[in-house]
Amino acid sequence: MPGWEQLIYLLEGVPLTLSISIISFLIGIAIGLPLAFTKIYEKEIAFVVDAYEKIFRGIPEIVLMLLFFFGLGPFFPTPFNNAFFVACFVLGLRSGANQSHIYRGAIRGVGDEQMLAGTSVGFSKWRAIWYIMIPQVFTFSTAGLGSEYALLIKDSAYVYVLALLDVTKRADQLRINTGDVTWYIIAALVYIALTFPLAFALDRWGNKRKNKIGL
Amino acid sequence: MTDYVMEAKHVYKTYRIKGEKKGDVKIVEAVKDVSLQIRKGDIKLIFGPSGSGKSTFLRCMDMLDIPDKGEIYLGDECLTVKGLDLNKARARIGFVFQHIYLFRHLTALGNVELALRQVLKLPKEEARKRAMAALEEVKITDCINKYPAQLSGGQAQRVGIARAIARQPDIILLDEPTSALDPELTGEVIDTLRDLAHEGTTMLIVSHEMPFAREVAEEMIFYDEGHIIETGSPMGFFNAPNTDRAKQFMDRIINRTTR
Repeated sequence: MPGWEQLIYLLEGVPLTLSISIISFLIGIAIGLPLAFTKIYEKEIAFVVDAYEKIFRGIPEIVLMLLFFFGLGPFFPTPFNNAFFVACFVLGLRSGANQSHIYRGAIRGVGDEQMLAGTSVGFSKWRAIWYIMIPQVFTFSTAGLGSEYALLIKDSAYVYVLALLDVTKRADQLRINTGDVTWYIIAALVYIALTFPLAFALDRWGNKRKNKIGL
Repeated sequence: MTDYVMEAKHVYKTYRIKGEKKGDVKIVEAVKDVSLQIRKGDIKLIFGPSGSGKSTFLRCMDMLDIPDKGEIYLGDECLTVKGLDLNKARARIGFVFQHIYLFRHLTALGNVELALRQVLKLPKEEARKRAMAALEEVKITDCINKYPAQLSGGQAQRVGIARAIARQPDIILLDEPTSALDPELTGEVIDTLRDLAHEGTTMLIVSHEMPFAREVAEEMIFYDEGHIIETGSPMGFFNAPNTDRAKQFMDRIINRTTR
């Protein structure tokens, strides 16, 4: 039977797992939103967005993490010698590519008419996007964002390769020390506990909001 | 100084639509050499068959569609000059859409307030006061906190009108403001427009509401196939239009409404 102290040691990895997922999710928003709107409303440079998406959805996260950490770390110790930063950065870049995809569908769902109405009251394109499109785009994206968040929680386990002490790494240490594979099962349960409530809450918020604004 | 609030000079606009077959492109000449002057307080009404380009012309006036050729003036300012800040110009023009297009994520009040706050940059209380005044003007005061999805078509269009007038624009362009509404809801919107007319609001309206036109319009403009075919007083059009085409169209419309 796993001991309490060991269990607590495992759970001490939760803040790290959570913070990597949340920070990379936020980086993903900051990258994904401008990319999605650029793709749709700045046709001349839309190819940049395509290239970005193909690159960051195509390369394994582990490869990028190793590349940034060991490739750039020696030359730019700040920030690339910091494993936590590299983890958030790489997952954020990847999430930006995914979220760009999610928002694009949502923008089409919100419709061009909302932009037209915004333009007609005197907004510039990008200010109409900020005040009129983005609030609606989030409502449209909750389902996709929920699964994207779950993906980030899972993918945060890749930081294993950077020797960060997240849930996965700790489970592995415990297995090595005790010879008990139950630790992996406990780690699995922890991951499910981390993904499920937020995805659920996001979905509920989205549905409530959609009802209200009649989408 | 010009006498006109707004003026169109020899405006042209064509656009392409995809045909039925793949790669088939049809060019539609929606606006061909259209000129029009509007003075302060004028109410002009454009009517004509659907697909004739009236709406495209109205959008050109607001530069929501950019004309291929010709000039649009807002007062002394030429909007068709390259590099002009069109957003500033559009802030001085109200536009009411056939399909309303209220901002769905904002309440009725939010819809009216948004541009006052973020385009005109009015302080909060001032914006609130003006938004409330506009909503009172269109007689929407009991549902200012409702979202567009919770409003009836007529209420929504009146909020649309409030959104257009709240900025106190030089002119209001209305693109078939009642055409998308159920027949029993057009009355309340027409009443609102009548109120605006009596207050001397400058308006260019695309509409087929003939009784309303007869009552408030100074001038009616018959528009077909991208041209202004005939211009005249409502009395003229109702009694005896000069052109055959206008005559036929008036007959059809009057028969339809009295049927």
